[in-house]
Amino acid sequence: MTVDFLMDWFATIGDFPILAFILAVIISGIPLFLLMALNAMVAVYAERKVSAFMMDRIGPMGQGPGLHAGKWGLLQTVADAIKLLIKEDTIPQKSDKLLFKMAPFIIFIGAFLGLAAVPFSSSLQVADFNVGVFYIIAVGSIGVIGIIMAGWSSNNKWSLYGAMRSAAQIISYEIPAGLSIIVPIMMAGTMNLQTMIQFQSGSIWGILPNWIIFNNPFTFLAFFIFFISAVAETNRTPFDIPEAESELVAGWMTEYSGFRWAVFFLSEYSNMLVVSGLAVAGFLGGWQSPIPGMFDSPGWGLFWFMGKVIFLIFVMMWFRWTFPRLRVDQLMHVCWKVFIPIAMFNIFGVGIWKLIIG
Amino acid sequence: MSKYFTNIYETVNTLWTGMRITWRHMIHIKRDNVTLQYPEERWPRPERNIGFDHKDYNVIRSRLHVDIDDCIGCLKCERACPVDCITINTIKAPNRGEDISDIGHTGETSNGTKKAMVVSRFTIDMSECCYCNLCVYPCPEECIFMVGGPNSSKHPIDYEFSQFDRKDLIYQFAKKLTPDQKKTIDDPKPEVEA
Repeated sequence: MTVDFLMDWFATIGDFPILAFILAVIISGIPLFLLMALNAMVAVYAERKVSAFMMDRIGPMGQGPGLHAGKWGLLQTVADAIKLLIKEDTIPQKSDKLLFKMAPFIIFIGAFLGLAAVPFSSSLQVADFNVGVFYIIAVGSIGVIGIIMAGWSSNNKWSLYGAMRSAAQIISYEIPAGLSIIVPIMMAGTMNLQTMIQFQSGSIWGILPNWIIFNNPFTFLAFFIFFISAVAETNRTPFDIPEAESELVAGWMTEYSGFRWAVFFLSEYSNMLVVSGLAVAGFLGGWQSPIPGMFDSPGWGLFWFMGKVIFLIFVMMWFRWTFPRLRVDQLMHVCWKVFIPIAMFNIFGVGIWKLIIG
Repeated sequence: MSKYFTNIYETVNTLWTGMRITWRHMIHIKRDNVTLQYPEERWPRPERNIGFDHKDYNVIRSRLHVDIDDCIGCLKCERACPVDCITINTIKAPNRGEDISDIGHTGETSNGTKKAMVVSRFTIDMSECCYCNLCVYPCPEECIFMVGGPNSSKHPIDYEFSQFDRKDLIYQFAKKLTPDQKKTIDDPKPEVEA
C-alpha cells in the first residue's frame, strides 16, 4: 500500500509520472480517511461505553439494530454523526471568518498527515520515510496552529483562553515526548519506523518479546514518559485544560458546531491513533507478535499492531475516566520539573547501557 | 531531593490505586449497574401505609378515574373541586331508571340507585388536578376515585400517564352524544298507555 509501491506499479504500465504520483497519493489516502472516520466512530462508542461502565452506568442503549431500544446502542455514533452533519453551521458575526473556516481543516491536515507514516503492518504503510519518527512528531505540531487560529478567530474569551492553554501545553509536552522517543531511536539506530520495528524482533531470554520497552530500565521509564506526554499532546483528560468544561465551556471549540466541530472531533480521535501508533512502533514492537516467532505474517502484523494501538487508546480512556484534571501550574510542573529531567537522564542512561552492555 | 522522589512515588502509587478502582467497576458492571432503562424496566413501587386504616382512606393519589356507568350526574364532585378541573354536563333522562340502549346508558347503578340524568359530558383535566382527593369523598355512588390503592384490583395504579399533548391530559369519561342522540333524549317517544 505504500505510495512508492503504487508508483512502481504505475511505471510498469506506462510513462506518466505526475499523474501516477497523484493517483498513488489519492488511492492510498482514501483508506486512511476511511480509517480516520471508522476510528472516530468506534472510539466514540467505546469511550461512551468505557466511561459508563467505569461509573456503574450502562451508556447508550437506545439506537441499535432494530432502531429504538435496539442492541446496546450500537448505532449511536451513526446517529450522532448524522445529527452533526445536518446541524446548522453557525459562524459568529464578529469572528474572523477566513481563519474561522480554515482552522478545522488545518487541524484535520495535521492529524491526517500523521497517519501517513504509521506502520500498520510490514507491508501496509502509506509512506515509508527514513525520518518517520521525526516526521510524525513534526506533523503533530501543525495542529497547534489550527487550534490557535480557531481560538483567535472565534472572538470569544473562552476560545482564546483555551487556545493559549492548548498551545502552551502542546509545545511544553513536545519536549518530553521528543526526548523520550529519542530512546528507541538510540536503541535501534534509525528513525525509520519499519527498521525500528524489525530491530525489535526475536526475544529476550526466550520468554519476553524483544521489544524496546523490555530492553532495559531506562527504556521502560521512557515509554511511560512518552505515553503520558502523548496523552497531554492530544489534549485529553487529565491534561484537558484547553477544553476544560467546568472553566472554559469547550475551550477553543466553543463557537464551532455541526460539521466543523465534527472535523475537530475526527482529528482529536485520529491524533490518539497516531500517538498510540508511534508509541507502539517505538516501544511495543509495532507489528511484531507478542509471542516470539509465532503468528508472524503481514496479516497477523496488522492484527497485532491494531490490537496494541486499541489497547493504548483504551488506556487513554481509562486515564480519562479515572483522573481529575490538572491545574495549569501543576501541568507545567509535571512537564518541566519531572518529565524533562527524567527524560534527559534516560537518554544518558541508555547511552551508557548501549556502550557497556550493547 | 528525597522529597522529589517520594512525591513521584506517591503520585504513581495513588494514580495506580485510582485506576484499579475504575477497572474493578468496569469489569463488575453487570453486578454494580445502577441504571434502569425506564420504559422497559421500572423501580418497584414502594409499599405505602398512611392513615389510620389503610383500607378506609383512598390515599394513593395517582390519577382520577370515573366509573361512568355508576355516575348519576349529581355534580357533587364538580362542586367540591377546588381548581374546577371537573366539568359535567347532564341531560334529564326521559324515564328514571330506564336503560337507553341507543347511547349505552344504563338506568341503574351497581348500588341499585335509579338514574335521573344522562351524563353527556364528564371531563377531568388532569393537568389542572391538584390531587387533593376532595372530589372522592362526596360521591354518593363511589364512582370517582384515584386509581390504585384499595381498588387496585379493579384499576391498577397509573402514576405516569404522560402525554405528548397537553390536550390529551383532559380525560373524557362520558360517551360523546351525537346531536341525533341528544334529540332522542329530549323528545322521548310517546309511551303507549296501557
